[in-house]
Amino acid sequence: MTAVPLPAFIAVSTLLFFIGAAGVLMKRNAVVILMCVELMLNAANLALVAFSRRYGSVDERGSVFVVFVFVIAAAEVAVGLAIVLSAYRNRPTVDVDELHQLKG
Amino acid sequence: MIDRVWLIPALPLAAFLVNGLFGRRWLGRWTGPLAASALGLSAVGATLVFLEVLGGRAQSVVTLYRWIGVGDFRVDVAALVDPLSSVMLLVVTVVSFLVHVYAIGYMEHDHGFPRFFTWLPLFVFAMLVLVLADNYLLMFVGWEGVGLCSYLLIGFWFERNEPAMAAKKAFVMNRIGDWGFTIGMIATFLVFGSMNFREVFEHVDIASQGVLVLICLAFFLGAAGKSAQLPLHSWLPDAMEGPTPVSALIHAATMVTAGVYLVARSTPLFQAAGPALAIVGAVGALTAIFAATIALVQFDIKRVMAYSTVSQLGYMFLALGVGAPVAAIFHLATHAFFKALLFLGSGSVIHGVGGEQDMRKMGGLRRKMPVTYWTMLLAGGALAALPPLAGFWSKDEIVGAAFTNGYPLLWAVGVFTGALTAFYVTRALWMTFHGQPRDRHLYDHAHESPAIMTVPLVALAVGSAGVGVALGFPPEGGFIHRFLAPVVEVAGHTAPEHVAVEYGPILALAAVSVVAGLVGIGVGLSMYARHRPDPSAVARAAGGLYTVLVNRYWVDELYDHRFVDAAKAFAGATWAFDIHVIDGLVDRLGWVATGAASLLRRTQTGVVGNYALSVMAGLLAVLALYGGLATGVIGR
Amino acid sequence: MDVVGLLIFGALAIGIVGAGLAVVFVDRITAAALLMAFTFLCNAGMFLLLGAETIAAFQVLIYVGAITVLILYGVMFTPQGDRPYALFFQKQTPLAGFLVAAVAAPVLALALTFRDPGIAREGGGDLQPLITSIFGDYAVPFELASVLLLAAMVGAIVLVKRDEEDAK
Repeated sequence: MTAVPLPAFIAVSTLLFFIGAAGVLMKRNAVVILMCVELMLNAANLALVAFSRRYGSVDERGSVFVVFVFVIAAAEVAVGLAIVLSAYRNRPTVDVDELHQLKG
Repeated sequence: MIDRVWLIPALPLAAFLVNGLFGRRWLGRWTGPLAASALGLSAVGATLVFLEVLGGRAQSVVTLYRWIGVGDFRVDVAALVDPLSSVMLLVVTVVSFLVHVYAIGYMEHDHGFPRFFTWLPLFVFAMLVLVLADNYLLMFVGWEGVGLCSYLLIGFWFERNEPAMAAKKAFVMNRIGDWGFTIGMIATFLVFGSMNFREVFEHVDIASQGVLVLICLAFFLGAAGKSAQLPLHSWLPDAMEGPTPVSALIHAATMVTAGVYLVARSTPLFQAAGPALAIVGAVGALTAIFAATIALVQFDIKRVMAYSTVSQLGYMFLALGVGAPVAAIFHLATHAFFKALLFLGSGSVIHGVGGEQDMRKMGGLRRKMPVTYWTMLLAGGALAALPPLAGFWSKDEIVGAAFTNGYPLLWAVGVFTGALTAFYVTRALWMTFHGQPRDRHLYDHAHESPAIMTVPLVALAVGSAGVGVALGFPPEGGFIHRFLAPVVEVAGHTAPEHVAVEYGPILALAAVSVVAGLVGIGVGLSMYARHRPDPSAVARAAGGLYTVLVNRYWVDELYDHRFVDAAKAFAGATWAFDIHVIDGLVDRLGWVATGAASLLRRTQTGVVGNYALSVMAGLLAVLALYGGLATGVIGR
Repeated sequence: MDVVGLLIFGALAIGIVGAGLAVVFVDRITAAALLMAFTFLCNAGMFLLLGAETIAAFQVLIYVGAITVLILYGVMFTPQGDRPYALFFQKQTPLAGFLVAAVAAPVLALALTFRDPGIAREGGGDLQPLITSIFGDYAVPFELASVLLLAAMVGAIVLVKRDEEDAK
């Protein structure tokens, strides 16, 4: 298919990435922040696959990278949620504005 | 024995080590007899050495080892055994031995007994090193050593404030003198290339007179400090805070004579530096009369003796100054005996009346303390230069030499001071031993001292009586003159006293001195025995003069104001500088660090979102930079 | 064919961006989580559009499947009680918004300048080369990834483990 031009994919990826970044910086609930991080990772994956399929070589190196990003993302979500749950156990809040015991 | 002369100082050194290491715990009261025995053996050794020198071995150098050998600078640990040092050796060891024996009794009840007998033999060791040294540097070692021991022994009862301060004062004033000695030493090395006595004295001609005068004055400054001459005299009366045996040994017989010995030993240098000799004589004479005037009005029996010592030391320097070094050494020897006796006797009195030192509370003690009385009487007569006692021969020779060698003013000062000396010693003895007891309680409890103290008194009394005749008769031609002649005669310089001896003038001068002494005694007796005139009336009549004397010419106050206060001010200034400037700088650096940290820690809010925000801000910065570089806005 | 592709792309793009915005601006967490899942799904569609079928499959499996469930578990275990939803944004929001916009604009501009090489490849057939690469050239990173997963698993378990007293 003559297709959608590459810049379009990259634009979408960029938009998604920065929406996710905004979410990370603005939202108060720690779980929601994790969700926004996943959004950012997805944006990265999209950009990687787009470049890989348009410019890429036969051995699908870009896609290999994407597989590893999947792995990392999964691990990160698992551990991140474990941390959030630990913090929640300490004080029943996941509001990041209130988790400032490391101040100073 | 001469070849083993080093045993003589080694024995007291061993006593010091043994008593120092084992005295307190194990030896206890045995430290005293141990030290005394060591000194006794040393005295025997000194006698043997003396006899050998007498027998013909005029000058020997016994080298222990090479101490310093750096390029041209060579100094050995070696002893110079000649008539002068052998005489000094004898005087020091014999008097030290007697004082050690006496002190065993005097210090009996003191809890610091072992410590006393650790420092005392150490002192004797240092003094013997000083006397035996064959070069200025080794002599300086002994010089410093006696200074140190003087400090330790003056401040023996350091739990009290006065002895501690007196010790400090003595040491500091000594130090000033030591500075002079050091300059003299260094100058000697620079000019002569050596510090060895023989090498220096053989080449006196190398130096110009100006340089020699400077060297001699530097050494004389050291001598003045050590021998308590003006203006470094005021430590000696304060040194009476120490135990009386210390006063007797160190501040009468030995340490204070080190200055005299130094100048006498350096006769070849001084003979070639006329102006220096003149200064020596003038200072000596001035000190003699100055101290004698103060002794007239003192009430503490030890202070009288202290000022008397200063005065008699002045006589010795006077002798050196007028070109009669033999007379100076002669007087040194006789003075050692009778002054030590006077001090030990005072100690016996103090011991017998339970610690009182103020003569105004004494009186009539001769009935209670006969041995002390008679020995002190004899010593007092020697001090007043009554013939045929020891002091007469030696002091007379000094005064006579002053006249004969052409210093009539100094002669007059010497004679007048002799009268003053006779007066104050009469006053002191009368107030203590004669008349009605002024303090009944004191008198009733007074008792004679034990034998261990009185026997040394008697021994010294024999010396005070006989030494003069033995050494100095006939005048100018006696044993000591012939004995010491080779020492003071150097390569062509004949000491001025070696003119043909004429007895006529000598007898006339002697008569004048004796008359002066008798006048002094007479006035003293009249005032104190018969109260004609009454002493208090005289004091009131003298008014201002009396006040000046009682306040010791306010010398201490002057020094305190001028030097001590200045030093304190300087110390205060440097302290303030240290606190405010240096510490201030350091503190401010600290505040800068703390302040910066306070500012910077505001970024650590603990809110993770803030940290993420700063990451984003950093990203923006990187992008800006990249963009700037790419578009050429930022150069490079 | 073009048009269909473009239309599909447009729909997916709106889906992604829209759902993304919704995740950020929606109040309820559960809604946000499900919208996130929808984003993942649209992303998988994008992959298919590009012809990376294996990756699309993985996307659905891992993201929509595992990660969404994990997030939902997280939401479930951290109930916030009655929170006043006026406290919706962090205190640093205005500055954050400005910064994000400031950074996004140039990047977006840059993104739009990329050259399209113009060649489109046949979709599909990417499984074989992908696996060959992973188990061939990139075997070591693959093993490392396994170790990482193991460590993450152990770490997560340890982090959430209760101390003995707390269990009572």
